[in-house]
Amino acid sequence: MWLGDGSFGGKASGLGFIKKILHENEMLIKSPQVQISIPKMVVLRSSIFDNFMQRNNLYDIAFSDASDINIINSFQQAELPVEILGDLWSLISSVTIPLAVRSSSILEDALYEPFAGVYATKMVSNVQPSAEVRFQKLIEAIKFVYASLYFHESKDYFNSTKNKIEEEKMAIIIQEVVGEKYNKRFYPNISGVVKSYNYYAFGKLKPEDGIVNLALGLGKTIVDGGIVWSYSPAHPKSAMPFANPEDMLKNTQLKFWSVNMSPFINYDPTKETEFLIECDLKDADYDGTLNHIASTYDVNSGRIVIGTSTEGPRIINFAPLLTFNEYNFNELMKTVLKICEDAADCPVEIEFAINFYKDKIYFGFLQLREMSIPTEVVEIDEKELNDENVLLACDKALGNGVVDDIKDVVYVVPKNFDKSKTKQIAIEIEQINRELVREKIPYLLIGFGRWGSSDPWLGIPVQWAQISGAKVIVESTLFEMNVDLSQGSHFFHNMTSFNVKYFSVNFEGKYKIDWEWLYRQNVVQKTENVVHVRLNQSLKIKVDGRKGIGVIKKW
Amino acid sequence: MKSKEFNPFEMAQAQFDKVATFLNLDDATRQLLRNPLREYQFSIPVRMDDGRVQVFRGFRVQHNDARGPSKGGIRFHPQETIDTVRALAMWMTWKCAVVNIPLGGGKGGVVCDPHNLSMREQEQICRGWVRQMAKNVGPLNDVPAPDVMTNAQHMLWMLDEYEAIHGAKYPGFITGKPVGMGGSLGRTEATGYGVIFTLREALKELGIRIEDTTASVQGFGNVAQYAIQLYTQMGGKVISVASWDQDDQTSYCFRKKEGINMSQLLAITNKFGGIDKNKAKELGYEVLKGDEWIEQDVTILIPAALENQIREDNVNKISKSVKVIVEGANGPTTPEADKVIEERGIFLIPDFLANAGGVTCSYFEQVQSNMNYYWEKDEVLGKLDVKMTSAFLSVYELAKKQKLYMRDAAYVISVSRVAQACKDRGWV
Repeated sequence: MWLGDGSFGGKASGLGFIKKILHENEMLIKSPQVQISIPKMVVLRSSIFDNFMQRNNLYDIAFSDASDINIINSFQQAELPVEILGDLWSLISSVTIPLAVRSSSILEDALYEPFAGVYATKMVSNVQPSAEVRFQKLIEAIKFVYASLYFHESKDYFNSTKNKIEEEKMAIIIQEVVGEKYNKRFYPNISGVVKSYNYYAFGKLKPEDGIVNLALGLGKTIVDGGIVWSYSPAHPKSAMPFANPEDMLKNTQLKFWSVNMSPFINYDPTKETEFLIECDLKDADYDGTLNHIASTYDVNSGRIVIGTSTEGPRIINFAPLLTFNEYNFNELMKTVLKICEDAADCPVEIEFAINFYKDKIYFGFLQLREMSIPTEVVEIDEKELNDENVLLACDKALGNGVVDDIKDVVYVVPKNFDKSKTKQIAIEIEQINRELVREKIPYLLIGFGRWGSSDPWLGIPVQWAQISGAKVIVESTLFEMNVDLSQGSHFFHNMTSFNVKYFSVNFEGKYKIDWEWLYRQNVVQKTENVVHVRLNQSLKIKVDGRKGIGVIKKW
Repeated sequence: MKSKEFNPFEMAQAQFDKVATFLNLDDATRQLLRNPLREYQFSIPVRMDDGRVQVFRGFRVQHNDARGPSKGGIRFHPQETIDTVRALAMWMTWKCAVVNIPLGGGKGGVVCDPHNLSMREQEQICRGWVRQMAKNVGPLNDVPAPDVMTNAQHMLWMLDEYEAIHGAKYPGFITGKPVGMGGSLGRTEATGYGVIFTLREALKELGIRIEDTTASVQGFGNVAQYAIQLYTQMGGKVISVASWDQDDQTSYCFRKKEGINMSQLLAITNKFGGIDKNKAKELGYEVLKGDEWIEQDVTILIPAALENQIREDNVNKISKSVKVIVEGANGPTTPEADKVIEERGIFLIPDFLANAGGVTCSYFEQVQSNMNYYWEKDEVLGKLDVKMTSAFLSVYELAKKQKLYMRDAAYVISVSRVAQACKDRGWV
């Protein structure tokens, strides 16, 4: 069902495409164990957005430099077009499960124009007994999502693309959240993303094998670049490369997001997470939702036991599904991927949520995007990697192609690097990024730990928009920050779609960063922890995507 | 715009009688419902600005309050009669019943012409009206509201007088108050929007896209203006509007075939909805005779001014292109004209259904005032849409099922509801 006219936006169009696919492949996916569908939804098409903006004269504040909070307040005080209010009332009167209010912009999700995570998605618990309150919360959420188009993050993002924010319009999807209520929490057993093509293939994996990212709870964990479990559908039983069980305990998902079903919520329509809570694994254990997705660390034996039948710390490694193949899980992933790939006739990326019932699995489609694959052939020989003109090189590069127009380097100063200051560092980088984006200057970014880490102790917790002008990103370990690098997983879609190159350097590895050379370059700006230098001539950057080799040459 | 012979109360009774026969109502119920339960007629002496004392005639009719407190507007009009007020009170009963709100029907008025009265004089009339009626109206028995030539300011004067007499705050006594003084957001738009909500549903049922329609509107007051606004926002095109010219004491129809421009017309309109004909000509509008609004080649006619506008003598002037008539005004179509409209198969949305948005929002205001808790505009208009849509669908389904003319179907629903309430209370 939809309201208004105009565009459905990328996300809603993708879901419309899935509907067609499901209809055409009904027999293939029909199974007594599995139910596949798109969660019920209503789309507010882009004419509603146009009317909302025009009738309330919101463009002036939207395009101004006003703070995000001012923009939100102006949008909250505005009125939604009267034509849709009755329908929203009817909707909210008859539905009492949590709803996700999601953006579906006309530029979002278009090939090469990823807006994943740039615009807001607001969940409403929809749990209040009074339809009046539920209605109020729903329209506040809609206005919030509309406002998010004009947040600073979004404006910075637009500055880094060839698109103009003035041309953007937003449709909205109001969709039932997949999941179940457990006490005061509502969440799906699994949220996930499955991709046909794995830009980050390593070891025996091939890019064409694809990749699946899984997380317990709402998909916010994945969208925000939190810790997820990744595996290839070709090798579902291959564990992620953890050094030992303790390492796995520490570096698998420890928190998850759920909709807060408590009637006592701190009222704040200006906050995206107003109705969300971040929960601990013990909450999920209490809810009984770990049965099919967790293993248990046996302290006595030091071993990891699949399942939750024994006492002990839980590890979200999805082993019952992937190792024991409960519900024929991996076949489901492969089938869904294959059907969608065939229908789209290109590699695809699918977002989904899964819920387990007694003897059945429910698979809800949330999004489908087409993926772009690098095609340029780049050759790098061993000599190039060890040459004296090399600023840095690595054998864990991501992306593909040659870059030869970068003169600006922004780096986190390695001397005195302090893990407790990573949030501050993110802000310093954001300021420099904003300036470079405004001047449309591409740059190379070098930092330590995982870029975009949700845990500030493991890396610099930037959002994509804070580093959106970087065309090449390097993450390095340090003596003080010797964690497994993210290899770009947090910004996966943005990087690949913008063709951003990614280098991963281990300070103990065979390829070093030539810091001394960097220190000698002309400083444009220097903050407490970050330096921006401009070189006299462009760097020569090459990445061979097939081999995962990359080199950055000083001249 | 009104013939002298026309008696709206007789028309209202004729409409009721038809339904009573259809429903086979017993004689007692029939007698109870075809007449008002209570009527008040009184004099309001006012010292005018020039020192003279002028006596104005005031009315209040409570037609039936079996389903809840009486509800209805107060009109200031030089041609006001008790029969007009009786008819309007009766229509209010049916109107509240058709949208299924727990209110009865009432109406009031004062014979006066506000165009010739100062604000102080109007205030004195308002306060005088309340002094006469204070014991017989109130949030629990009769809740007035603005109507023809009265507005939020008049209501606030009346409320103030009522509260002074009763010595307490009673914001639920009257509706149509200014926003911020107990008024509801959305009240101004409610009647006009309600007209278009029902039109939208009718077009859906008829399989006509609103974008493919044109409309001619009689009136350019509050109801017409908001109806035109929403209809245009939804994609329709209004090509002509008719409005009363106070100076010439006649009405004119302003036509622009490519579609009228609301904001342009509003800029040359006085507060009573009168459009300046000379300025309109300068803006490229054709200025036609007032009654020509009915002859336009459009899909939709919206009579949104006064009663008795589509009559036996002009009903055949309605163009063949007209598919829908939405009655924004009260009683714009006579029973004789109704027959012709029905025979021609024009889809008619009857007045007390189409323009029930006003009273529905008044009800919302009353609820808010009694709770002293006020809603956002989105909430008010959302609820209004749901109420109006659901009322339209009930009437339409009945009309379809029993092959009834829409007005008759609406009457059947309303009269049955009110009759049932009277029976349940043991009145008949």
